[in-house]
Amino acid sequence: MDLLLSVYVLMWPALVLGVLVVIAGGFARDARRARDEGRPMI
Amino acid sequence: MGEPGTSFLSSTTVLVILAAFYGATLYMALKIRRKKENADAYMTAGNNVGFGIAAASMTSTWIWASSLYASATSGYTYGISGPIHYGLWGALMILFIYPFGRRIRSIAPNAHTLAEIMRARHGSSSQLLLASSNVIGSIISLTTNFVAGGAIISLFSPFTFAQGVLFVAGGVLIYTLWSGFRASSLTDFMQLVAMFALIGVIIPIIFFAADFPSSFQTGAENLSAEQSNFFSSEAFLSQGAPYIAAVLAYAIGNQTIAQRLFAVREDLIKRTFVTATIGYGAMVIGIGMLGVLALYLGLTPYEGDANNIVPQMAAEHLPTVALGLFLVVIVGALSSTADSDLSALSSIMMADVYGQNVARRGTVDPKRMLLVGRVTMILATTAGVLIASFRLDILDMLVFVGALWGALVFPVISSFYWDRVTNRAFVTAVLAALAVFLPVRFEWLPVDGALGALLGVAVDVLGVLGIGVIIGLMAFGFFGLRVGCVAAVLAVVGASPWALGTLHDYTVLSGSLVAYSVSTLVCVLMSMRSGQEFDFSTIHARVGNFDSAETTDDAGSRPAETAPTGPKE
Repeated sequence: MDLLLSVYVLMWPALVLGVLVVIAGGFARDARRARDEGRPMI
Repeated sequence: MGEPGTSFLSSTTVLVILAAFYGATLYMALKIRRKKENADAYMTAGNNVGFGIAAASMTSTWIWASSLYASATSGYTYGISGPIHYGLWGALMILFIYPFGRRIRSIAPNAHTLAEIMRARHGSSSQLLLASSNVIGSIISLTTNFVAGGAIISLFSPFTFAQGVLFVAGGVLIYTLWSGFRASSLTDFMQLVAMFALIGVIIPIIFFAADFPSSFQTGAENLSAEQSNFFSSEAFLSQGAPYIAAVLAYAIGNQTIAQRLFAVREDLIKRTFVTATIGYGAMVIGIGMLGVLALYLGLTPYEGDANNIVPQMAAEHLPTVALGLFLVVIVGALSSTADSDLSALSSIMMADVYGQNVARRGTVDPKRMLLVGRVTMILATTAGVLIASFRLDILDMLVFVGALWGALVFPVISSFYWDRVTNRAFVTAVLAALAVFLPVRFEWLPVDGALGALLGVAVDVLGVLGIGVIIGLMAFGFFGLRVGCVAAVLAVVGASPWALGTLHDYTVLSGSLVAYSVSTLVCVLMSMRSGQEFDFSTIHARVGNFDSAETTDDAGSRPAETAPTGPKE
């Protein structure tokens, strides 16, 4: 039970870091594409 | 480390943290600053924002300081399922608006606000009704974030509440003022990185510093049977159900979501919304787990205020350096929402008030429009600071407005799909719903005698119909009309046994539900009698860009595609 509760509590920060990686990857791609096309990101 | 209120961080430390945070944010905003801003880009960044910025902006805007505190309070109050019943429904607000968002973008790809489309669809009364509710909601949200900033700074440092409010308000205004939505959404990315990276680390640090998982056993006696139950009905009925009722209302009533919907590149809408749903849910539920841990530890909130749970957990289990980083998380959460509120307010005043109701048709001056936007930001910040100084119970006000928005949901959504909805049906439905909502919400109805019993039954019946409307609309968005109708009927049948006879006792919930049902009934009945057959393809021509390509002084902003001198009527 302790293990389940530990996973239940700690899975959320892990998920947060996962989403951060996805968004940061998207941002990096946006930045690269904007640089290649010679325009600002936004 | 002691109790909150004992100045864990020195004045100098807090000033350095705030200066570094707002300095970095301002630097990013200055990097994209243009000598001559484009009015449309100021509102929606040219409807062409990429996935990274859009997803970050959508996520961090939806995460505000109060949601972090409220999730932890839910965990502390309702136990292990509490954070789910706060964070999950909040996350689903983003997801459930997604199918409607696609429809809205398809019929008005260059819009700036939802109210602007309502004008093209119905007329100025519908537009101003929706815009007014958006303004009220954004000012309350802005104030709430200022209050949260003042509270956390005064809690952690020798600075007063008023000083904390001024620091936050000034910091947010400075970096948002010149470039508007462009600055807001780009800095949202930086704020999200700071928040997510720190929370991903801080929660595990607190978990192990507080001697978990061992504390799950030693503290189990601190939880009641309901708090230990993952499927707690009390948590669902008291926390989850009212939130489900608010799912669509917040997304429709809050211009910040609509603004990002219009800003993101159209083919990236789905990916952006899904990522924001997961990101918001994980972040808010994760913070809520601090409330659950506090419950196991037997923590007593300082001065009995549940808002102190998160700061207390941080203060007791984090080293001083990490405490400073925790302050960055909170300031990041409230700043990303506050700058979005400023951008939303400026867009409404620019597009809905100046662009379509003050300037003469076809004579919109983009420079003056930008001035309107910037003056709006200054006035809104001033109003937010003044209201914050009264230290009103802002969250209560926000819950009230959220319920009020229930009156708008069906008329707004149906206006995007059903050609027979008229301006009169829209306005009458909203006003009728408000007329019923207010006495139910504030318990003005008589409760004794035969009349009280009759009114109680009426509220229950309308409330059950409201449940059907909400579930039906959610299903309709994803699966179409037939499934939506079936889901609505099933929801009414399923809810009736427990709701009839009891629903009117929960005034917050029943007030919101009657707003949904009454607005739906009136709107449907009046629209069915109308002979109108509205042509949705005309909206595209009526809602366009205000600024001309020549106004943009450098590369990057897409030239105006339609109506270079203002939307056609």
